[in-house]
Amino acid sequence: MTNTIQILSIEKTGKESSLQKEHNNKSIKIIDGYFFSTNLDDRKFNKISKLISNEVSQVILTRKNVNTVLSKYSNFNWVVEIKYLPGVTDNIATTVKEIINNNLKNSFKSFELGSTKIILIKGRKEDISKISKNEANPLIQTIKIYPFKKYLNNFKRNQFKIEKVKLPKKKYTKKEINLDISDHNLSLIGKLGIEENDKSRRGTLGLDLESLKAIRNYFSIIKRKPTDIEIETLAQTWSEHCKHKIFSAKIDDIQEGIFKRYIKGATEKIIQLRKDNFCVSLFTDNAGGIEFNKDWIICHKVETHNTPSALDPFGGAITGIVGVNRDCLGFGKGAKPIANTYAYYLADPNKNYQLYRQKNNKDPMLPASFIAKGIISGVRVGGNCSGIPTPQGNVYFDDRFAGKPLVFCGTVGIIPKKIKGKLSHKKKANPGDIILMVGGRVGKDGIHGATFSSEELDPNSPVTAVQIGDPITQKKMSDVIIRELRDENLYSSITDNGAGGLSSSIGEMAKESGGFIVNLEKVPLKYKGLYPWEIWISESQERMTLAVPPDNVNKVIKKFNTRGVEATIIGKFIKKEKAIVKYNKTQILNLDMEFLHEGYPKLNLKTSFPRINKEKKKIIKKSSLTYKLHKLLSSPNIVSKEFIATQYDHEVQATSIVKPLQGEGRVFGNATAIKPLFNDEKSIALSQAAYPQFAETNPYDMAGCSIDTAFKNLIVSGANSKKIAILDNFCWCSSDETDRLYQLKEAARGCYDYAVAYQTPFISGKDSMYNDFKGFDKDSKSIKISIPPTLLISSIGVVDKISHLTKITPDKDDKIFLLGKTNNELKHSVYDKIIGVRKTNLPNVDNKTALKTYKNFEKANKLKIINSAIGVDLGGVGIAISKMAIASKKGLFIDLKSKNKNSVDQFLFSETQSRILVSIKKSKLQKFKKIFKDSNYVCIGKCTGSDLIEFKNGNKIIKSKIEDLSKSYKQNIKGL
Amino acid sequence: MRVLVLSGYGINCEDETMHSFEVVGFKGNIVHINDLINNPKQLDNYQVFAIPGGFSYGDDTGSGNAMAKKIMIKLYDQLIEFISKDKLMIGICNGCQILINLGLVPGIYTNDPEVAMIENKSGNYECRWIDVKVADNKSPWLKNITTLNLPIAHQEGQFMIPLNVLKSVKNKKLIGLQYINKKKKLAKGKFPFNPNGSQDDIAALTNKKGNVLAMMPHPERAFYNYHVPNWQNDSSKKFGDGYEIFINAKKYFL
Repeated sequence: MTNTIQILSIEKTGKESSLQKEHNNKSIKIIDGYFFSTNLDDRKFNKISKLISNEVSQVILTRKNVNTVLSKYSNFNWVVEIKYLPGVTDNIATTVKEIINNNLKNSFKSFELGSTKIILIKGRKEDISKISKNEANPLIQTIKIYPFKKYLNNFKRNQFKIEKVKLPKKKYTKKEINLDISDHNLSLIGKLGIEENDKSRRGTLGLDLESLKAIRNYFSIIKRKPTDIEIETLAQTWSEHCKHKIFSAKIDDIQEGIFKRYIKGATEKIIQLRKDNFCVSLFTDNAGGIEFNKDWIICHKVETHNTPSALDPFGGAITGIVGVNRDCLGFGKGAKPIANTYAYYLADPNKNYQLYRQKNNKDPMLPASFIAKGIISGVRVGGNCSGIPTPQGNVYFDDRFAGKPLVFCGTVGIIPKKIKGKLSHKKKANPGDIILMVGGRVGKDGIHGATFSSEELDPNSPVTAVQIGDPITQKKMSDVIIRELRDENLYSSITDNGAGGLSSSIGEMAKESGGFIVNLEKVPLKYKGLYPWEIWISESQERMTLAVPPDNVNKVIKKFNTRGVEATIIGKFIKKEKAIVKYNKTQILNLDMEFLHEGYPKLNLKTSFPRINKEKKKIIKKSSLTYKLHKLLSSPNIVSKEFIATQYDHEVQATSIVKPLQGEGRVFGNATAIKPLFNDEKSIALSQAAYPQFAETNPYDMAGCSIDTAFKNLIVSGANSKKIAILDNFCWCSSDETDRLYQLKEAARGCYDYAVAYQTPFISGKDSMYNDFKGFDKDSKSIKISIPPTLLISSIGVVDKISHLTKITPDKDDKIFLLGKTNNELKHSVYDKIIGVRKTNLPNVDNKTALKTYKNFEKANKLKIINSAIGVDLGGVGIAISKMAIASKKGLFIDLKSKNKNSVDQFLFSETQSRILVSIKKSKLQKFKKIFKDSNYVCIGKCTGSDLIEFKNGNKIIKSKIEDLSKSYKQNIKGL
Repeated sequence: MRVLVLSGYGINCEDETMHSFEVVGFKGNIVHINDLINNPKQLDNYQVFAIPGGFSYGDDTGSGNAMAKKIMIKLYDQLIEFISKDKLMIGICNGCQILINLGLVPGIYTNDPEVAMIENKSGNYECRWIDVKVADNKSPWLKNITTLNLPIAHQEGQFMIPLNVLKSVKNKKLIGLQYINKKKKLAKGKFPFNPNGSQDDIAALTNKKGNVLAMMPHPERAFYNYHVPNWQNDSSKKFGDGYEIFINAKKYFL
């Protein structure tokens, strides 16, 4: 009899070698362990072991062989045992359970099992604790460290334990909340949550005093007390995350708010100017949709998952990516996800910031390297397991992300314009339609996720706010929706269960019909003992909500079930504008839909011009050009991100046409393209840009630079300038402070001006307003770290023909031209950060000149006059030149005479916007000059095809070997 | 000529695999594993059985293991029968891992798995383009091919073969593809030419009869010329190297 199965790989696994390398210790071995809640007799043990292991490459450890088997590897003395905390998603355990159930029917009545990672080490105890810290996250896992002898003993005595979720078995009674209390006590409810009978608090609701008063007022009019679930629901629905109160608030003299005036305002203005059918579905749905060709629509959505990723980087990031995939599945009648995008804004993974959420070094922030690695792997597992290519992304480092990393996850989807003759982007839950919940089950995961992402990260950030995605459950669900149900027109509406769970998805969808009645006891649960309010707001992943006409319900449920996906009727949509929730026939929630969605007090915000702190800076004087080139190329924000590109499957679906690594020399590109349909040569080009480093100096110009770069990258890749749309993701800090609001307003104003100038509509967006860390440093001094305001602009564009797609690699004898004028704009450039410079300006986009360059480029490219092209961005022309040479492995000769009035460093490293580096074949020079006669360009050199980049400065020639530059560019980022 | 392309439980390359077969002249269906289990008789209607790439069961308990166990209890005999006929079978990436876990490839002595697919030596998921050469092998899938430029994308692509099995694999000429370097010589385990540390640079194996091919690289992702990295330098061709594998299946039945 035993209650554990433990499996050892005979050969050293990849994970073991990387762990051994990282800790410089060859005596590390990892065991895959499974702990069972019941004892297995020998027959079951043998059978199950065989089912979940590989005879060729692995050994099953038993009481009898454990000592001898392990002694062959090393003389281990310590064991680190890592298990998930009860209730945390354990995907491996789910699979093992399914394998057992498929193969050993009726052998078990019911059993639980948990997967464990057991690390055996020979070493000193202090090293062991370091390893365990790097391998596990105490927020979601338990870590036990004990001597190897005890491990052997545990084997003998059968003492491996699994902990189950234990919830109080108290029967639910309807709970009414008294709001006729002092303002102080009222705000406590908002901050700490509803008080339980034992005086404990449920966790933050994120409701301010004004909102609570509005709730009190509503209930005094309808003459009854609110129930707990009613307050929880209002907190979810009114959260900053769901309602974007700051963007919709009156701000200074802008009555309608910055969203309506600047973001939606820009799009409305553009639609009015364009008079075409490019914009299909904007702002109202889960993602924004544009026309791809005459039969298809593409949609795009970018989300952030910052706070969860700070607490559990892997879980936060995987949930971020599979969550935004569902935004596509929930676009219109369901779009198929065809590409993922990512952008990470992180602290230096090589630094030890030593931040704590509480005094006396308690409750530490996870190390920056742990956060970075966890985020990168979370998106890897989420994207790769879902079969969605992840071609497009970037990473940016700055110390000010030490308190909160920014994790942007995006997805592009595709859907036919019409399904059975009906427009696919239109959907409407009708009165009488059944509410069907499909996909995963509900547990305590993610409770209060929506409300807490609206708050700053402090000691009260709830543990249950973290979820871990299960991409396979979602893939099964997604396959049924996209491949089997959607085109049959069996449901009238569909949406994602994201922030706020059922309360949000049903609440939103019910606007289409009028209202809803839900019976919460019908919702399938992961484990018993959840309170109705928890079921209602839980953010357990991998679920969608469907509105299904009653006649189709059985057919739909059957389809899901035959594919191994649960689908459950949990209520119906009604005409009456009421939100009604019942639990075992007791009505526990009854709100007017109008109050639920619009009853929150509107904010009235004021801004003030921020004080600009002058920073002292060090300036490195007298360094050679070669030194500077190498220094910049190897700096974390410029260095190649190849190690991420090769981890993210960008080839699946066989659509990758411009890949993340470009040229034989594999340069990490700033735009990529996919060709989503086999029978149409049109492609989708993707890019993104953000300039947090400019935000505090000039938020308006920062927005201009972001839009310009995101637009330019698509033009350079070959997209049709009339078919480019953009998305805005504002990640701000301290949004209750007037100077931060000033920066926000200015950035939004920049968004309007540049979007209208380029005629690129905003089709979707999201904001995350409190990216601050409040805590303590290692000396218990209180500390606040705010991210620099970050506006990520994602761009999506249609490339009409394959032949329009460009490359970044010049050929021998090409002439190299720089399109666009270069100014002394080195302020906050990479050069400024690394080398340092005084008396310089921040880049400012002159959209009229820029547009001239872009129009000419587009025309020349269509006529095949451009042989290769690269957008000039971080690091300036010097870096763009280097990338061209590294990518092509062909030498360039650059004459610095072309710098004009600029100094050499200004010319090579200024980050002046709207510039493109191109190479032109000799035979096309005449035509090139003709097209570009009305825009600024300069010939800066030629492609020699040698193995050198040569800069001619007067009589001097400075030479750099491409191979050496390539080494600098491909250096590992320390700490990753 | 009809092909059955399997789907479900995290398989995710069924559309592009089906498309590749269709372009070379096959007709066929994408069939969910549960539908095939419910009606295994339908296999009679097909000449080719393809298990595409993906992440069946999220690679939990080892890539391809859980799906192999599902097939083992419900479809194993039918697949053995399929192979015994004059028909073709291919497993690509996750499909390769499933065939290896089922023991259908190489299938030398017994029907138990004789080879294991283990984690890449780097410990990382690797998505990159590699070159392979066709080994001395009589599989119709590989006929008249010398080298191929294809992408791989996997976490567990390393073939681990016990010595005695390796000897037979070589004697019986069951090695399908091997990773090579830029000079067209065997990669000799060197990264990134051999991207996963696979023994003897093995990228694909066949069964004894040669009609079953288990390959880690993805031919369907190298089907058109525009799939190939830096195709802009030579856009005159229509197809990429992956096309060869599919056209061979067609030629076999002509």
